[in-house]
Amino acid sequence: MNGKQAGLVVGAAGVLAGVVGLGVLALPAGAGPAPVLPQVSAEQLVQSVLTTKTVPALAGTVSATNNLGLPAVPALGGQASKFLTDGTTKAQVWTDGKGKGRVSLPGATSEETMVFDGTTLWDWTSQNNTVHKSTDTPEQKAHPDKPGSGEMATDPAAAAKQIIALIDKDSTVKVDGTATVAGRPAYELVLAPKPTEKTLLREVRIAIDSETKIPLQLSVLANGNAQPVAQIGFSTLQIAPQDPALFTFTPPAGANVVTGEDKKVADKAPDQLKNAAKPQIVGSGWDTVLVEKLPAGTLGGDRSATTKGGENFDPSKLLGQLGKRVSGPWGSGYEISTAVGTALVLDDGRIAVGAVPEQALITALASVK
Amino acid sequence: MTAAVLDRPALDRPLRAPLSRLLASELRWTLRRPRTVIAIVLLSLVPILIGIGVTIAGRRGGGGGLFATLVGNGFVLPILSLTLLLTMLLPLLGAMSAADALAGEASHGTLRGLLMAPVGRGRLLAVKAFGVATTVFIAVLGIAVVGVITGVVLVGTDGMITLSGNTLSFGDALGRIGLAVLWVTFQVWAVAAIALAVSAFTEHPLVVMAATLAGALVFGVITLIPQLDWMQPYLLTSSWTSVTDVLRDPMPWDGLVNSTLKAACYLAIGLGVAYAKVSSKDG
Repeated sequence: MNGKQAGLVVGAAGVLAGVVGLGVLALPAGAGPAPVLPQVSAEQLVQSVLTTKTVPALAGTVSATNNLGLPAVPALGGQASKFLTDGTTKAQVWTDGKGKGRVSLPGATSEETMVFDGTTLWDWTSQNNTVHKSTDTPEQKAHPDKPGSGEMATDPAAAAKQIIALIDKDSTVKVDGTATVAGRPAYELVLAPKPTEKTLLREVRIAIDSETKIPLQLSVLANGNAQPVAQIGFSTLQIAPQDPALFTFTPPAGANVVTGEDKKVADKAPDQLKNAAKPQIVGSGWDTVLVEKLPAGTLGGDRSATTKGGENFDPSKLLGQLGKRVSGPWGSGYEISTAVGTALVLDDGRIAVGAVPEQALITALASVK
Repeated sequence: MTAAVLDRPALDRPLRAPLSRLLASELRWTLRRPRTVIAIVLLSLVPILIGIGVTIAGRRGGGGGLFATLVGNGFVLPILSLTLLLTMLLPLLGAMSAADALAGEASHGTLRGLLMAPVGRGRLLAVKAFGVATTVFIAVLGIAVVGVITGVVLVGTDGMITLSGNTLSFGDALGRIGLAVLWVTFQVWAVAAIALAVSAFTEHPLVVMAATLAGALVFGVITLIPQLDWMQPYLLTSSWTSVTDVLRDPMPWDGLVNSTLKAACYLAIGLGVAYAKVSSKDG
């Protein structure tokens, strides 16, 4: 009898250990207590970010989470729809801090790897065994927002003041405590719209690493939703020198190597939109609305676009999948609404986009006429 | 050995057979069953079948996922075979040997003899679990070995092209395949442990097979329902895709480690339930 009871106790202990273990494994990585960091003002924080020109050597996982509420679009297929539909996308990134870098986008049974070895950008797709090779310097393209010699002041302190002053017109900027992002203590810089702004957004939070001053996470929060509607940031991050072998790439035996293909595709796209009118900006700050008029017929069935895969699809059909049909005294068309913004695509080619409710778009459309 | 025989006391305390002899006898008993041998041989033929199929179809192109990677890349064959077999046939093998281990013995009436024998219940379960575990390991190893040979014969030994686009040396490739073998074996052990727990409760081997396969199917269905995705971290099957991580370079460990820990939890639950039942069974 005693042996039986002992057996039951041991067995139950095993089961308990297993169940508790599963629970622990399923727990999301806890945020932990907020780290204690020296006080810093928003201005100082922005200034220190601007002074940090170089990204240190690092390896990390970047997760992008999307709760925009867009319906799945089967017509787009592939990577594009993966990024647009709700869910989390992960990428591995490495950089040696001297301009070389590596990004890999893992799929369930495939991977796309991009390696920039200092002179050549290699883009490998395992699914079709293809390497795109281009010798452009992506560095200049990658940082178009880098403070140049233009209007921006070259002195970081002055530039920080300018930026804060610019933002201050429509929003409140403050350092809202600290947080731990990817295991690193970070300051939380919060931008919130002033109450007069007619926007769907509640605030934008940027977590900035306290040591290296690189942005670790960007979260966009909308009204009526406690969870971020969009978030991109590191889920793991190691700041350490990286293996130089990571930043070289040799096309494997039997792979198709395509040289400079990407560039041609990129050049072709602007041609089609060249005759489109420049977008007009209505309003300022958070309730800015972009109004554009596309040449008539762009959205009709007479001109069908071609996707990357080569199959044709009708843009109006795609709009029907994404949005709902609306009409009013201002015209009729499709309304695509997400948690962060609204877009109106009218049948006459007019498009209005903004992080605002539908009514603000209609007002903007009327003001442009 | 001789000394042990000479020193044997005259039955004034219960005899204890050395554990190694018990294990060897269980292994002989398991591997002599025709169904075990047939199952292992048939599973090992799968890589040959895939290899020939892809070689013939590969000239025309087509296929997706890992099949596309396999063309001209023989070392992917063992990994691909294990990935495909892990979803259904390897759990079936685990369930079959777990069903034979306890429920099968019970249905023949031979479990009673084992329960009466002067062998601790814990020892009995350990020996039975060892038999199941070894069968699974032999099958997984067999699939991998046949896969490597088929891949080398059909494609050559240039090395393994990873999903990340670089080429691993022969030794590295074998290391990755070895890791996949260990990982897959452990996952199937977790399934077999649950099957062993069911096996302890019934004397019908068929019930064990049905219950285990139904469980695997239900897990698969839950994975497909978006509204139930909060359950995903608890499901054993939901992390089975992480075996493809061994084909990436540098290899991400987090998925493999996490799924191994999850399998360890299932193993603890299965063996815990089985132990509680076996130790409280009347002799």
